[in-house]
Amino acid sequence: MHKSENRGSWEFQPEETLIEDSGEFPSCLAQADLNGQNKDPSAGCAVDVPGPSYQNEDIMSESWRQHRKHVFVLSEAGKPIYSRYGNEEALSSTMGVMMALVSFVQAGGNTIQSIFSDNRTVVFLQNGPLVFVSVSATRQSEQQLRSELLHVYHQIVSLLTQASINRIFECRKNYDLRRLLFGSEKILDSLLDVMDSDPGFMLSAVQCLPLPSSSRDVLSQILQKAVTPNLVFSFLIANNRLVSIVQEKTVLEDARLKPSDLHLLFNLIRASAFQAGEIWTPICLPLFNHDCYFYAYVAYLDPPECTVCLVLLSTDKEAFYAMAECKRKIEEAFASQNALQCVSNTQMSCFDDVGLANLRHFLYKPSNVQEHHRQLPQFTCPEMDVAYRTQDEKIHLLDLYRNMHNRIHSTSRPLKLIYHSAERETLLAWVTSKFEMYACFTPLITKKSAISELTKLLRWIKKEEDRLFICNLPKYSTTPQPGRSSTDRGRSDRQSASDTGLLSLL
Amino acid sequence: MLMISPRMASGMQEKQYTPSLLSFFIYNPKFGPREGEEEKKILFYHPIEIEKNEKIRNVGLCEAIVQFTRTFCPTKPAKSLHTQKNRQFFHEPEENFWMVMIVRNPMVEKPNKDGKPPTVEYQEEEIIDSVYGSVLQQCYSMYKLFNGTFSRAFEAGGVELLTQKLEKFFYRYLQTLHLQSCDLLDVFGGISFFPLDKMTYLKIQSFVNRVEESLSLIKYTAFLYNDQLIWSGLEQEDMRILYKYLTTSLFPRHTEPELAGRDSPLRPEVAGNLLHYGRFLTGPANLKDPDAKFRFPRIFVNTEDSYEELHLIVYKAMSAAVCFMVNSAVDLSREFCEQLDSMVGPHLTLLASDICEQYNVNRRISGPEKEPQFKFIYFNHMNLAEKSTIHMRKTASVSLTSVHPDLMKILGDINCDFARVDEDEEIIVKAMTDYWVVGKKSDQRELYVILNQKNANLIEVNEEVKRLCATQFNNIFFLD
Repeated sequence: MHKSENRGSWEFQPEETLIEDSGEFPSCLAQADLNGQNKDPSAGCAVDVPGPSYQNEDIMSESWRQHRKHVFVLSEAGKPIYSRYGNEEALSSTMGVMMALVSFVQAGGNTIQSIFSDNRTVVFLQNGPLVFVSVSATRQSEQQLRSELLHVYHQIVSLLTQASINRIFECRKNYDLRRLLFGSEKILDSLLDVMDSDPGFMLSAVQCLPLPSSSRDVLSQILQKAVTPNLVFSFLIANNRLVSIVQEKTVLEDARLKPSDLHLLFNLIRASAFQAGEIWTPICLPLFNHDCYFYAYVAYLDPPECTVCLVLLSTDKEAFYAMAECKRKIEEAFASQNALQCVSNTQMSCFDDVGLANLRHFLYKPSNVQEHHRQLPQFTCPEMDVAYRTQDEKIHLLDLYRNMHNRIHSTSRPLKLIYHSAERETLLAWVTSKFEMYACFTPLITKKSAISELTKLLRWIKKEEDRLFICNLPKYSTTPQPGRSSTDRGRSDRQSASDTGLLSLL
Repeated sequence: MLMISPRMASGMQEKQYTPSLLSFFIYNPKFGPREGEEEKKILFYHPIEIEKNEKIRNVGLCEAIVQFTRTFCPTKPAKSLHTQKNRQFFHEPEENFWMVMIVRNPMVEKPNKDGKPPTVEYQEEEIIDSVYGSVLQQCYSMYKLFNGTFSRAFEAGGVELLTQKLEKFFYRYLQTLHLQSCDLLDVFGGISFFPLDKMTYLKIQSFVNRVEESLSLIKYTAFLYNDQLIWSGLEQEDMRILYKYLTTSLFPRHTEPELAGRDSPLRPEVAGNLLHYGRFLTGPANLKDPDAKFRFPRIFVNTEDSYEELHLIVYKAMSAAVCFMVNSAVDLSREFCEQLDSMVGPHLTLLASDICEQYNVNRRISGPEKEPQFKFIYFNHMNLAEKSTIHMRKTASVSLTSVHPDLMKILGDINCDFARVDEDEEIIVKAMTDYWVVGKKSDQRELYVILNQKNANLIEVNEEVKRLCATQFNNIFFLD
């Protein structure tokens, strides 16, 4: 995906073999540029453009200290790798202190977890040779902040694979990982931004575009037919919601795609902010298999609006043209059946007609007991109410949900229900064996009305279940090409490094 | 502390360890700023057996953590450090003087088959920061009550005097900490008020006035009945810590001799004195003995402004106890004590039985006390009034609660949530055991109710709590 800069790599002989010769593998950025489009933040397209870069922010300033959440990534040797705000090189002494704290506690046979002060929480996470630190002014729980750091780790793994990271640091304890992550900071920036504003991370679930199941089936069937050997997943995404997902049956067997991997994939696409043309990039799905790469073909089907995105995942590094061919077939079929009409017609906030005057917003996630939700955990939520239109207000509401989520899922004293009447809103969180839901009402609602509106909402969701969620994940089968059997299987059991040849990408 | 809990059919027993004190130290970085001088920073360290360099390293870690958090917010540094095995609490009660308490996390030891060492599982979530943070703050308040501030001691006698005082106080005080039973009430540090009718209250008020007028040496008075406060002339913060001392340390040490049987050794040797049941809890144990030496404990109050050092005289008759506080510069002679005894003794005895009678009358009038089917905790931030029907006995060592500790922790969580905002809120939760917990915060008052009504729904729970508020709180509101 990125072009690794061989800055004086002749000094570091052992890594040469790890650094890919990028000649025949164009980076997605290069590809996008080749097609003559530059990313234009002001184009009113649906692609989320990452926030402004804080690369050169003055770390001594008050505004730097006041950021809502800092995230730092460093190596075990104390070498800075990434900082969300400010230049990580300038922060190397602060990072040195962080590493010293980690090591000191470790030396006592203990593990440092977090530091709390009145208005900051510092959370530590160590994974292999990488250390992650979050300094947050939000009042999120330690567990939630740590799971966010874990996502950052996984996003890095999605770029490099875990096996590579471990191997690099085994060879050289003070390797500077920035050399391999150069250009990818904006992916991490984008991930941190989206984790605040997308409830999917908290719920570990994916949000689907509501569609009548017949329309969705039409789209899925088209995807199912446009397959090629070594293609294992096909996704159709519209307006950042999942429309359809089909997967290869025999190669993957019982393999399940975790929402966290999907979030990372979507973030990668979002952060690259390309519009026209295609991307062909390696991506590792850490929860699926953290040691090998898939190859992702990504293209928007409706330039220049760029709301509908096709993603094809293959295990074959050379399959770019085969993927492009699949895309062409899909586009043709969509055009001839006018299949995308339903996508543009779909309404998000259709629960307006249920007549719930006091309900402002809700999150609903069916439980993992039902088969299709175990296959792919999903959740549904409407567009934000007028009370939460600005980014700040939206994040404020999600913070409230996050607090309740933390309490209700406490490991030592979990709860079944929380009803919280606060000054600006009334909130409810409810976990049953069938679902998990969070709702936000106007502040002065009575308990009777809240219960009554909630009941109506649940009834409506039940009725609309088919439309709100993807109820089955169609499968297809392709026969793997002979002679490549050891390289093209993205199975969830581990492959040894020499076998797959995929690991030599780096 | 170790508790065994038998589990499951396998017959193998898990061992549950409750939180315990690992370490407690006090330091001032300004006392040893240069390299090689680190040991000078340490003013008190428990356990004392720890090797010097390890002490220095542990103190160094605390300094580093405080400094690190100052990078992000200079005015509000670290309050606690969470590690897998223990939790450290930081408190800076006076500028540059730091107190640190390290608590070992509760843990479960699960036995393994085949002679493998048992697996230890640490339960970090069981410790609520606000609870133990408050316990640490109270350690300082209690020290300050009997010793004055750190800075004054340092000014008066340098590091030597300060370390001496710290050693003397904390060596004993730390032994009284029972970390396994700390809970929400430690966060409140409240005072239980005795509910009284207006008439009796006025009688007590006038008694206090009369004594203060006749014995002009008395600066402040506090009146308690049955471990509950009725009236105090002290500032709230001072009364709060004095109350804790009286109810958890002084009173439990002195049982009621007049309730003891005729042949009991507790019966005082005051055969001739049938005039009253009054006696000194601090000071002269036996007034009849002219050679017996006595002294009154000294306390420090109003440390923020007037900084007064006082003798603490605690005098008790039956269930009524009065504290008289006199300037410590005055030398309290035997004559003074006898004067006090003869004036206060009879009067207080009468008052005590009056209160008792009135209280019984009130109870009869208000009907048979609906014995707390309501389990609740109430606290008023304005006057520190606290009431709990969950805690059955509060002694120096243990607070027995009639609900599962997990429910108390849920209360602690709700209290933390309330503390985040200033506005009035209500939080109702249903626990996994189907118990309902309702927390209400309104106008500086907090109320927590635990309902064991498994099949109730939200509306019914709401009604129950409304009923509780309408009945149970009239008495207490009277004293506001």
